Amino acid sequence: MWKDIWFLVTRTLRATFRKRSTIILYFGLPIAGILASLLLYGSQGTTELRVGVVNGDEGQTIAADTVRFVQGLDHVKVVNVTQQELHDQLAASDLDSGLIIDSGYSESVRSGSPDHIAIQSVKGAQVTAYMKSMLYGYIDNVAAMGRISGGNDAKFQQLYDRYRSADFKVTSESVNDTSTTKEMSYQSIGFLLMFMMTSAVSLSELILKNRENRTYFRVLSSPINARTYVLANILMNLIVMLAQIVIVLFFMRVVFRIDPGMPVAQMFGILLLFSLVSVSVSLVIVAFSKSTAMAGALSNLVVTPTCLLSGCFFPISIMPDAIRRVSDFLPQNWVLQSIEKLQSGAGFAGVWFNLSILLAFAVVFFLIATYKFGRNNDTRNFV
Amino acid sequence: MNVLDIRGLTKKFGEFVAVDNMSLTVREGEVFGFLGANGAGKSTTINMVSSLLRPSSGEIRILDRDITKQSRFAKLNLGIVPQDLAIYEDMTAYENVSFFAGLYGLRGTQLKERTEEALEFVGLCDKAKSLPKNFSGGMKRRLNIACAIAHKPKLIIMDEPTVGIDPQSRNYILTSVRNLNESGCTIIYTSHYMEEVEEICSRIAIVDHGKIIAEGTKEQLKSTITDVKDIRIEVKSALPAAAGALKAIPGVRTVLQEENMIRIHSDAAVDNLNRILKQLLDDGMEIRSVEEQEPNLETVFLTLTGRNLRD
Ligand SMILES: Nc1ncnc2c1ncn2[C@@H]1O[C@H](COP(=O)(O)OP(=O)(O)OP(=O)(O)O)[C@@H](O)[C@H]1O
Ligand SMILES: [Mg+2]
Repeated sequence: MWKDIWFLVTRTLRATFRKRSTIILYFGLPIAGILASLLLYGSQGTTELRVGVVNGDEGQTIAADTVRFVQGLDHVKVVNVTQQELHDQLAASDLDSGLIIDSGYSESVRSGSPDHIAIQSVKGAQVTAYMKSMLYGYIDNVAAMGRISGGNDAKFQQLYDRYRSADFKVTSESVNDTSTTKEMSYQSIGFLLMFMMTSAVSLSELILKNRENRTYFRVLSSPINARTYVLANILMNLIVMLAQIVIVLFFMRVVFRIDPGMPVAQMFGILLLFSLVSVSVSLVIVAFSKSTAMAGALSNLVVTPTCLLSGCFFPISIMPDAIRRVSDFLPQNWVLQSIEKLQSGAGFAGVWFNLSILLAFAVVFFLIATYKFGRNNDTRNFV
Repeated sequence: MNVLDIRGLTKKFGEFVAVDNMSLTVREGEVFGFLGANGAGKSTTINMVSSLLRPSSGEIRILDRDITKQSRFAKLNLGIVPQDLAIYEDMTAYENVSFFAGLYGLRGTQLKERTEEALEFVGLCDKAKSLPKNFSGGMKRRLNIACAIAHKPKLIIMDEPTVGIDPQSRNYILTSVRNLNESGCTIIYTSHYMEEVEEICSRIAIVDHGKIIAEGTKEQLKSTITDVKDIRIEVKSALPAAAGALKAIPGVRTVLQEENMIRIHSDAAVDNLNRILKQLLDDGMEIRSVEEQEPNLETVFLTLTGRNLRD
């Protein structure tokens, strides 16, 4: 029997994926989903400020540290330029603002009265406000040390060194960074869930399609029985799901370098469990449909709304309470919840309940489909 | 040896009896004609023989083995050419045949050889790599046949394989039926075209309302109706009212009108041609020709069922 199943699976896969449009449908769309979430979350918090720096006070530690401080700020990208380049690139909007340090800057800070530094911008004050406030805070601190040391070089150096070793605090901001990539990967998975469900339905629909073109009955008049045929369809469906999961995780992790904030293997496991759910749901849809048209309509009625309600497209937290209660009955939500839990540091043990619920969904839907398939015995259109 | 043995076969759909206690035997090497009007129960019978429908009662044996007890054996020895096309439009002709042949366990070089053989048999070798989407109706029908024969079944059942196709494809198909038969296949052939059945079938069964009402060679069937004569009268333009009056004439059994041809079946023993012609003349019709036909299968069918095969 397994030989027959494998024969059916390979032949069907080959025929299905010969068309480039199906490859795009099954694999291109989920990748586009990652891109979409990159755009959604990538652009939100991180409008990057491009700052051109003209350092006329070269060789001085304080000037160099100032530039490094700006570099270390969140959402700021620093390029070293000349005065002329700064002027041109600001005009061409290649840069958002410029930081000009003239010679004598370090000396002036050290003596307690900062001077010879200027910030230029074409876009207006609000662009530079953030940088200005951070930067002036920094300069004021150093200038205060200058005033305290009152011209005593050794004392200033001592204070300054201590300050420098402390300012690594700035990098602790990077915790914020992974929260963005977590959101991105969460969102990518949300989209993937929907694409998995739609492709599961269209692959299961082959059963109906082959009923309509009557090849199903030709198959049944051969030594292949209905059970073998449906098993082969399920197996093929699972293989496609598996490929989708692998490809999406690969693109997410390796190509786009999004850190999901949890082990990829755990994500893979959960998604694999969900592939069982989406195949079983698709079988229920097919079992209750008399034609591919009806299955298509049912799928539209089921897949998109449930994905919407369970938070595949935007976080469920923004929805009213009543809807959030509905989402407890939707398998997609249990996947997303598990991922959220794991991202916020819960171990695999913390999501056992969620995973059992998912498995239960799969089992129940498989049983419903099996029951219904057993009762459809309509061979009317053959011969 | 009997290739197909049907005993007391009945199929009910709810209250409706589609096949009614049918018994039938097809012997090895025969081309067996299966005739019946629309809804007579032919396809239902074939569906049960190919295990797609479960009989309400009765027994079916293929090559002397019960098809429910040894279903794999039965299916391996059976090829079905369905009435409606059953092919994948998005697979090439070659892939179609190879797919269906593969379901019978063929693999590798054997699968390749049998596929090519089947395609050659129906004359589609040069179209092997094309999609059936772009085929003519006749070519699709031929592919439909190729898909049923690549696994070399002992018994091939063809349900109206020539419906709605060009004469060239039809001749091709009829020739291939003969060739298949010569190569040792037993064939059950269903058709609405009497000429085809007369041409290729060695034995014929006529089905009506799920029952076999006559069975035998062409000659045997024709000899059952020596008591009937088949009169064809060509008129300039037939009036619809004519039939009723004609039926009242003693001896007349059935009257059929096809455009300006009136066909009358009448008892051979009754001399009524004069009365018939007088009736037509009285009705104001202009007679062009009168002809008495040798009985053929169509006459047999008409006499037995009171209906034309094609309606
Ligand atoms: N699944 C079914 N349910 C109910 N009635 C059915 C079913 N299948 C067939 N029938 C009925 O059984 C009768 C026989 O149908 P069948 O298809 O066997 O006829 P047929 O001899 O093949 O006719 P045709 O020449 O039109 O193909 C018809 O009256 C049909 O309506
Ligand atoms: Mg039929």
